[in-house]
Parts: sequence; C-alpha cells; structure tokens
Amino acid sequence: MTLAHKTPITPLDNAFTPEGGKQLPAPLKSLRDIRSKAITGMALPNRRTENWKYSSRYLKLDPELAPLTQATGNADYRSVEGTYRLVIRNGVVDLESSSLPTGDGIDIRRFADLDDVTAQGVAKKLDTTLDHGTTQMAALNTARLEDGILIRLSADTSVDKPVYIQYVTDAGTSGSNYPRLMIEAGQGSKMTLVEEFISNGDQPVLVDSVSELLLDDSANITYIRLCMDPVNVRHIGATGVRIGANAKLDSHCIGFGGDLRRHDLQVRLEGQGGYTRLNGIALTQDRQHYDNHTAIDHVVPNCDSDENYRCLAADRSHAIFNGRIHIHPDAQQSHADMNNKNLLLSTNAEIDTKPELEIYADDVTCAHGATVGQLDEESLFYLTSRGIDRDTAATMLSMAFVHELVGQVPLEDIREAVNTRLTDFIEASFRRASE
Amino acid sequence: MLTIKNLHASVEGTPILKGINLEIKPGEVHAVMGPNGSGKSTLAQVLVGHEAFEVTEGEILFDGQNLLDLEVEERALAGLFLAFQYPVEIPGVSNLQFLRTAVNTLRKHRGENELDSPSFMKMAKEKAKQVDLGPDFLKRGVNEGFSGGEKKRNEIMQMLMMEPRLGILDETDSGLDIDALKTIANGVNTLRAENRSFLVVTHYQRLLNHIVPDVVHVLAGGQIIKSGDKQLAMELEEHGYGWLGINEAEAAG
Repeated sequence: MTLAHKTPITPLDNAFTPEGGKQLPAPLKSLRDIRSKAITGMALPNRRTENWKYSSRYLKLDPELAPLTQATGNADYRSVEGTYRLVIRNGVVDLESSSLPTGDGIDIRRFADLDDVTAQGVAKKLDTTLDHGTTQMAALNTARLEDGILIRLSADTSVDKPVYIQYVTDAGTSGSNYPRLMIEAGQGSKMTLVEEFISNGDQPVLVDSVSELLLDDSANITYIRLCMDPVNVRHIGATGVRIGANAKLDSHCIGFGGDLRRHDLQVRLEGQGGYTRLNGIALTQDRQHYDNHTAIDHVVPNCDSDENYRCLAADRSHAIFNGRIHIHPDAQQSHADMNNKNLLLSTNAEIDTKPELEIYADDVTCAHGATVGQLDEESLFYLTSRGIDRDTAATMLSMAFVHELVGQVPLEDIREAVNTRLTDFIEASFRRASE
Repeated sequence: MLTIKNLHASVEGTPILKGINLEIKPGEVHAVMGPNGSGKSTLAQVLVGHEAFEVTEGEILFDGQNLLDLEVEERALAGLFLAFQYPVEIPGVSNLQFLRTAVNTLRKHRGENELDSPSFMKMAKEKAKQVDLGPDFLKRGVNEGFSGGEKKRNEIMQMLMMEPRLGILDETDSGLDIDALKTIANGVNTLRAENRSFLVVTHYQRLLNHIVPDVVHVLAGGQIIKSGDKQLAMELEEHGYGWLGINEAEAAG
C-alpha cells in the first residue's frame, strides 16, 4: 500500500491579513494579537485532523473569504414578538437595530465600548470555555476579533423576556465574519437566550462564530440556537459553557444543513449539583452537510447531563454526530445519558455517529445509545391508506421523529416557528425527490 | 361497485390468492369467512394496495376503475377504506393531526370545503363518542399505547369520519369483548346506506349477528369455495370448517 498523496497543508491564516481590531480596547486587542501570532503557520483542519474527518473537505479559506468588517448591505432582521432583540451584522454589533433589556443588574455592551478594566476581565475569560485542541476555528475567531457583545447579569437578576440575537450575514459579496458573544451569568441569575443565524445573498460566505457562556452558581440559562443560514454560508460555530454549582443550562440546537455546517458545543460541569440538558436537531438535504460535535465534561461530583440529538438526512446529504462525555476522576455520582437517533430519508444519504465515553470515576452511571434507521414502511402504508399522499405522510413521520425534541423547546412562539420551518424544509425535500 | 375477476396474488413468490371471483353491489354487505391462512387478510390488503402483495393475475374493478392502476392513497380517495386488523402505532403524530389531514385531503378531493379547526373538532368528538372513545384520545399519538379494543374503535371512528364507498373490515372482531363488538357493529351499521358497501372479513360468525351480511363467502386455500346467505355463516358456526371438507391445518397450503 502506498500513500496516494499527501494532503496539502493549508495554513490557517492563509489569505487573511492580520490587520484589524482597531476599535477594540487594549486588553482585547492584545489578546487578538496573541492569537493571530499563535495561529500563524498553523494548519487548517484537514482529512487527518480526527475531529474534522468528515468535514474538512468542505472547509476552504479562499482569498475572497477575507474578513468583512462592515455591517454592509441591507441584510434584514425579523422582529420576534415578546423578545428583546440584538442584531449582529457581519459580526458587527448593530445597536441601532436592537432593543435591549435595561435595568439593574443587566449590563450589555459592545466589546468596543468596554472600559479597560472590564475589557481586562473579559480578555481573561475569553477562550476559557473551549478546548483549543479541538476548536481550531474558534482560535481563528479570536485572531480575527473585530467586535463582540458582552452580556453580564448580576447576582439574582432575571431577564423578563428572552434575548433574541440575530446574526445576520450579508452574503451579497463573498467574505467571512467572526461574531463573538460572551455571557457572564452571575449567581442565581436567569435568562433565555436565542441565537439565530440568518443570511441573505447567494455568494460564498464563511461565518466563524463563538459564543461563551459562564454560569456562576445557581444560574439558569436556557439556550436556543437556530442555525438557519442558507446553503451558501459555510458556518463553523462553537459554543462553550462552564457551569457552576447548582447551575443549569438547558440547550436546544436546531439547524439546517449547508455547504458546511459545524457546531462544537462544549459544556463543563465545574460545580457540584450542576445540570445540563443538550437537545439537538439537524436536518440535511440535497448535498448539504451538518456536523455536530458535542463534549460534556463532568469535572466535579454530583452533576447530571442529558443529551439527545437527532439527525435526518435526505437526498445525498451528510450528517455527523460526535458526542463525547468525559467523566473526570473526581466526578463520582455523575449521571450522564447520551442518545443519538438518526433517520436516513434516502439510500444515498450518509450519517456518521460516534459516541466517545471517557470515564475515570467508578461510581457513576453513564448510558449512551445511537441508532440509524429509515422511515417505517407500515406506518407510511397506514397513513397513505387514509388518502394522505406519500410525501405528506413521509413528512409527518419525519416530524414525528423529532416531535419530542421540538416539544421541549421552551417558548411556544419559537417552538411553533421551528415546527413550521422544519416541516417546510422536510416537505420540500420529499417533493423535490419525487418530482 | 366492486368486481374481482380471477384474482391471483402472492407474497415473496408464494401464491396466496388463487383465483378469487367476487361481485359486490351498492348497499350490500359481504362477509368473507375462512380458517386461518386461507387468504382472507391478504384479500383485504390487496384491495387497498399493500406493496408486500404482488397481483400476478386477474383484475379488480371499483366503480368501473381499474383499482390495480391506483396508488394506495388514490384508492382511499376513490372511496376504499380498510379497518386494519393490527393498526400500527405512530408516536409523534397526533390522532388529531392525522385525522384532520386525512379528512381534509378527502374533502378537497370530493370538491368540498376543508374543515376548519372548530368544525373538525366538533365532528371528531361526535364520532369518537359514537364508538366510546373519550375526547382526550384525539391528542394522543396515532394508536399510541391504545389497547387492542381502542385500536379497533379508532379504526371504526376513522371510517365514520371518512364515509367510504366500500368499507373493508379485517377481523375487526378479533380480541373484542361483546360490548366492544356491539359498539363497533353499531358504528358500522350507522354507515350502512344504499350506495355504500362493506366487505367483512372474519374468522367467527358472532360479528355477523350484529352486522348482518347479504352474502357470505367461504375462502379456503386462496379460493372462494362456497357462497350463500347469512345462513351459511350459522352453519359454519355450528359445524366448523371441517363441515365443508376443509382441513384447517392444510388450508394455508
């Protein structure tokens, strides 16, 4: 056997000038410079990068993907009733289009507007939630930092309505953008956060987003991530979370496939009594791609995690789920449950699922299960025997597959919207396939 | 209404139906009886178009249309309805959503207005009551966690909603106690009309005390070996299938 050819190494900083970040306060600019230097010469993830095995082939940093630093174009946001709104265009915070909560204990500022002391604090905490060995592209985000948003909740502060962040990419011209979010939820604080990624325009665009959530003791964050970019957007996103004692993260990550979709969700349970629920739905069709990588670290004893991800892949698409659970040696009495169910809607689609369990404590319960199946023919027959056409019946059964997870999305308006969009997406796929 | 001519069907290459001839006129109720493995259920499944069965010979005319040319859903829209012997459970699809989609698809096909939510609910609750199903069952997944009797009642409830031209009952009586049997029979009897027919597939005669057939056929070895009026069912009940020279053990062959 001979090696067919060596995979060419593309440097991570290829094609991008390190200039920029001029608006940032000194401590953040300095962090940016350090990261820029660190990634110089580093290789872009390639086929031999284990955690990019299935996705590196879609990852291209062409010269035309140079960073966009202006909130250009008329990329539009939708207003969502009953929520606060925060608009980020091409990675740049657009306060004018936003309507933010105010009041005691709520501090929301652009990175550019931070005083040096606060910026110093943020700089110390940025990049502390993610494992740099597996999130190379998050390092690129820091190295290309232009702007970002800090949301800080003081102890026992509850935000009365969800904060709905819309990341709008104007894909009228090709380029890349690097949105950055930092949440510091103080002791006993409470918030629902929605991140929605949308775009208009049809040029190739790279979005490299990073969101970091720090939950102090007894904080309670509901996190809904809607990855709704059109196919031409290559989106690499990372969400890093650190959970303090008795704190809780309830996460719902729902997304459609595209030319490249990657989400790394890394959660560290760092205080006793911490809990996280990670739900996820990924839908792919045509030749789309979606790669979910999750990692849960049980660092201390007495924490629970429940994970439930479901993927549906139609046509010639490709969905990937990689779920890692790491129980550290001290983390006795950990309870971790991971479940990944997948539905292949076409014989040409591909789904790769890989649970990774590393357990170094002996008094724990850790369960995992992964399945890949197809639509049940008897159920299809039953529905069609009542006059329902096959595409509609297949859509109903596909939605039934994610019904439980959609039902757990905590806000009714968002749940309804998600339900409609998922249904439309699946139905369109079946209709196209049968034409 | 329904004309079956020399129907042969097989599953995975094994012939099950070996030349069925049957004519059902509007308003008639036909019962098909026979021992296990005689092909009764196969006949029901072939009529509605189950893919597992291959029709190798013969034809089926339904209101003059060649039924074998129609897809499963087209047969339903043409007016065929099968009450399944073993209705499948579909968690995640609510009865309500399923029924509303089915009923409105049918109404649209018939050129009628689609039912809005309140009118649909009113109708669904009415029909559910007719077969002794509580209103909360509409919210549950299709047949999910239903007892055997509830599943059968749900089938009849759907039939009441869809008002087919030809209702086919596939051993709807199996596993039912006498009260449930009566409830179901009443449901079917309310649908009996001049232009609506039924094909009742059953192993036992007792259902036919409540849904009185015009014609009774005995199926054995994939063929109708005897036809008669309701008296035939009673004689079968009295004497058993052996009376017709059928060896139950060999009937399947």
